Formats: sequence, structure tokens, C-alpha cells
Amino acid sequence: MKLLTHNLLSSHVRGVGPRGFPLRLQATEVRINPVEFNPEFVARMIPKVEWAALLEAADTLHLVEVPKEPIQGYEHDEKFLRKMHHVLLEVDVLEGTLQCPESGRLFPISRGIPNMLLSDEETES
Amino acid sequence: MDHEAAQLEKQHVHDVYESTAPYFSDLQSKAWPRVRQFLQEQKPGSLIADIGCGTGKYLKVNSQVHTLGCDYCEPLVEIARERGCEVMVCDNLNLPFRDQGFDAIISIGVIHHFSTKERRIRAIKEMARVLVPGGQLMIYVWAMEQKNRHFEKQDVLVPWNRALCSQFFSESGQSGRKRRCGHPERSHPYHPPCSECSCAVCFKEHCDSKRSHSVDYEPVTARTCFANIPKESEAENGFYNTLGKSFRSWFFFRSLDESTLRKQIERARPLKTTDVCADHTITIQPSRHSSLDLDLQEPFSKKEQNSDEEVFVETSSQKHLEWLRARGTVKHLNGDHLGEIGKNGGGTFLDSTTTSDNGADTSNLEGESPSASRILRRISAVNSTDSNPDDTISVEEQQADILDSRAFMRYYHVFREGELCGLLKEHVSELHILSSGNDHGNWCIIAEKKENCD
Repeated sequence: MKLLTHNLLSSHVRGVGPRGFPLRLQATEVRINPVEFNPEFVARMIPKVEWAALLEAADTLHLVEVPKEPIQGYEHDEKFLRKMHHVLLEVDVLEGTLQCPESGRLFPISRGIPNMLLSDEETES
Repeated sequence: MDHEAAQLEKQHVHDVYESTAPYFSDLQSKAWPRVRQFLQEQKPGSLIADIGCGTGKYLKVNSQVHTLGCDYCEPLVEIARERGCEVMVCDNLNLPFRDQGFDAIISIGVIHHFSTKERRIRAIKEMARVLVPGGQLMIYVWAMEQKNRHFEKQDVLVPWNRALCSQFFSESGQSGRKRRCGHPERSHPYHPPCSECSCAVCFKEHCDSKRSHSVDYEPVTARTCFANIPKESEAENGFYNTLGKSFRSWFFFRSLDESTLRKQIERARPLKTTDVCADHTITIQPSRHSSLDLDLQEPFSKKEQNSDEEVFVETSSQKHLEWLRARGTVKHLNGDHLGEIGKNGGGTFLDSTTTSDNGADTSNLEGESPSASRILRRISAVNSTDSNPDDTISVEEQQADILDSRAFMRYYHVFREGELCGLLKEHVSELHILSSGNDHGNWCIIAEKKENCD
């Protein structure tokens, strides 16, 4: 699971609503997966990122420091873009958990795949 | 009713895809052109979700965008992952995403697996929720109206024969295709060796022995087996032509929406596996030419076989012969449709739903019509005395077996023309329809999330 994906994920445990984001990441196995760097691509991703969630996740994984916010003129700052490329796309959580911040419910990540299925009781109306 | 719906989907969608997932792994499939085009038209840097991605065939179509694949079926998702895709397991009805995260979403062959209108709407609304305003959603669902044939009813259980797939893999001379499944043929007593060529082989061949034996009967040629279809190609004629050769039995299912009108609310007992079907009066609509039916045929021919019982309207039996000879001719293959099944699955696997080429009439065979109940009873009777007990599908007794043995049945709600549009217009006001049409036997729609609606 990439951090870009994590950035989109939210808990859908019943009743949690927007307080289900972001999920608290905990990783027991992480791999770095080289991905071809495409600066335009990364630059376009930046505005879509929920920055605080990314910071938190990167921090949990002890990653290279991510700036508190996108720097001015980031679109042309290759160093910045490369760093973001690495954090968003190359870091791959293979094993770990994602925790709903509101309910505490844990979602597993195994073999790089997060499993976000809820049980019947958790989704019942 | 939602519980029933979930049970039905578990039994006839999720469990089937899980069980058949191993067969998808080696099968290549190409993305459908229009879906491909939709993906390629997205702006570079877009975030895209493929909800119901199956083995991930659409996930790498456009390298300029980031596509996340989601599916309910873990085995299928694992296959996609092995191909290097970013994927996850989740439920279309409860998408685990924050609002407005995606620039575009595709839902190819998914919504038709939801067994009630309410769930279909919910699935669409969930996708709308996670779309950015101005973002686009593309939906493909099976059409009830097919080019040369049509379904009698909208709620269908479609058998899929695992045995054929095993056969395919074990007998296939195709290079590079190592099958992963562990289901050798030994457990299929109902495959009598083909009388013509003595190959213990898919009953497709058995059945076709009555017809043009020639080309189709090389035992090693899994080409004849419907399982061979996934040579990707653009089929002119849609899904059913592709599958043409084997199963021609559809199992009609009374819609759960319809059922609720009749049932007492108190019947909320937990459903046994056999319950769902038993309660809903599966109607079997065999055609005359599949060997599946040949076995079923016995009882039928003893009584009056109605041409009424045909599922499809075949415009020309000539087509059937052409199809047979084509045996895998690329232009007839529409493996891709198979590939995009549902949130549970993709894969180019076969759906044993093929067309009947027995021409003539289609009539409504209602669940409670006398002929239907006769069929059901007869099948049951045959089942107990028949020399090939596995061949017949007794509705009541064999439900549990069916999933396990040779026929996995997948549930589909096939859509009428205009139905998908109608759903969006009436129930998903946050989406605005940009275009709609028919593609390879599917109703498709592209809709846009309206601005200022969340």
C-alpha cells in the first residue's frame, strides 16, 4: 500500500463519518519500490493530497522529512518533487494495520493489500 | 431484505468469484476500447478508482494517472497486485474513502451484481460521493437486450462450469499457460467421453458431437471449450456470442425486489444456503443444444418440450454454425466482458451463459407457471433416478452442490434499456449524465459529479 493510497482512505465504520480520516498507520513491513519519476505527475498530485495525513503517515514510518506544506513554486522544484515522489509512490507498506481514529477498529494490510471490509454488524443500519 | 440481498450476493457473487479466482490468473485480457479511451482521456496526474477491478486489467491503461483498484474479492485483487497494481479489498456499498478524493471512477460490470435496486443505487451514490465535483464516472452493466438474443427476465443466475476450466487448463496445448487450479478431472463423472473422439472432455464437445464434429473436436483443443474464450479481442457481437458454445442454460431468479412484495416480514429467519434459491423459484431455461441440457433434455423430451422455454431469441441458426466454425476466431471473442465482472471479479472467465440457438419463441416462463413447476419437479425426479445424476440440476436439492460442483452460479440483474439512466436521474441527483449507449451488450453511461452538491 502506497502512502498516496493511504491518503485517500477513511474508515467507514458506522457512525464515524469524517472523523474516520485519516487512518492511523502502523507498519511491520515496508518496502521501497522504485517507480519512474514523472515530475508533472507528481506536481499534479500535490494539490490532491491531504497534507496533515501524509505528514502523520510519513512520520510513523520514519521517512525522510516531509515539509509541513507544499513549498512555494513546488511545481518546479525538482528536489521537492522527487522527495514527494518517493514518499507518495515508492514507499510500500506490505504488512501493517490501519486504525480508525474514532472507533479504534483495525483494518489489516497484508501482502501490500489493505482490507477494508467491514463485518455485517458494523455496516448494519 | 437487505440481509437476504447480502446473502444472495454472498452465495452467487462473492463466493463464486473467490472460488473461481485461480482460473483468472493466467488469462490475459484486454481493456475494452471505450473504457480504455475514457481512462486515457483523463488528465495526467488524475486520481482514478476502478471499483470492481477484478484482476486489474484497467489499472495500467494510462501511465499518466494514478489508478487504485478495488474489489470485494481478495483472490482477484491478489492477482492484480502480483501484476504490480495498487489495489485493495473493499465493498462498493461502503467505500472506505474520504469524500471527493477521485478525479474519475470506473465501474465496469459491477452494478449488475447487486440484487436489489436499493443496493444498486447505493453503490452508485457511494461512487458519486468519492468523486470530485466535475469528476466523471463510467458505468457498464449487462444489457437485457442483446443483439441477437435477449433474456426473458432481468434477474438471472448464470452457471459457470469449473470443470470446464480445469479441463481447459489440463488439456490445453497453449503454451505458457500454466494453470494454477488444483481441480483435476477425476471428480467429474458426468463427463462421458465424447462419443466421437473419445476425449473426456468438456461437455461442449459432447454436445456438439451432434453437430459439426469436425473442427471442434480435437481433444487437446481447449479452443472449443468455452473456457478458451479469453483470447482478448474486440467482439463484434457481444458477450453471448462469445460464450455461444457451451452453456445455454440460464437460471432465472425472481427479483428480490419483487419478492419482498410477497413475503412476510417475519420470514427473516437466517437463510440456509439452499434457501435463497428455493424461495425464489429458480426457473431453468434450457436450450436444446448444450450438453448440459442434453442431460436435462431427457426429462424434457419425454414431456412436451416447448420451444417456449428458450431463453434467447436466436435470429439465425446460421449464426450458430458460423460461430462453431469460428471456434475461437478472434472477432467473436469477447473475453473482456467476462473479464470485468463485478466487484468480484474480473477475469476473462467464462460465463456459461450462452445463447440458445434454438430459435423461436421466447415466452415468459414464470416461476409459478405449471410448466415451470413441472420442470422443477421433473428435474428432481430425474435427479434421483438418472444415471448421470450430476447432470441435472435440481433446483431444490442441489443448491448446495451446485456451488461446489461443476456449476458456480453467478447472480446478475441485467439492465433494460434506459434503466441505468433512470436510476441516476431519479435517485442520484448529484450526477449529471453526459452520455449513454450500448457497447458489446452492455448499457454504459458516463456521468459527471455536479458542482456544489456536497
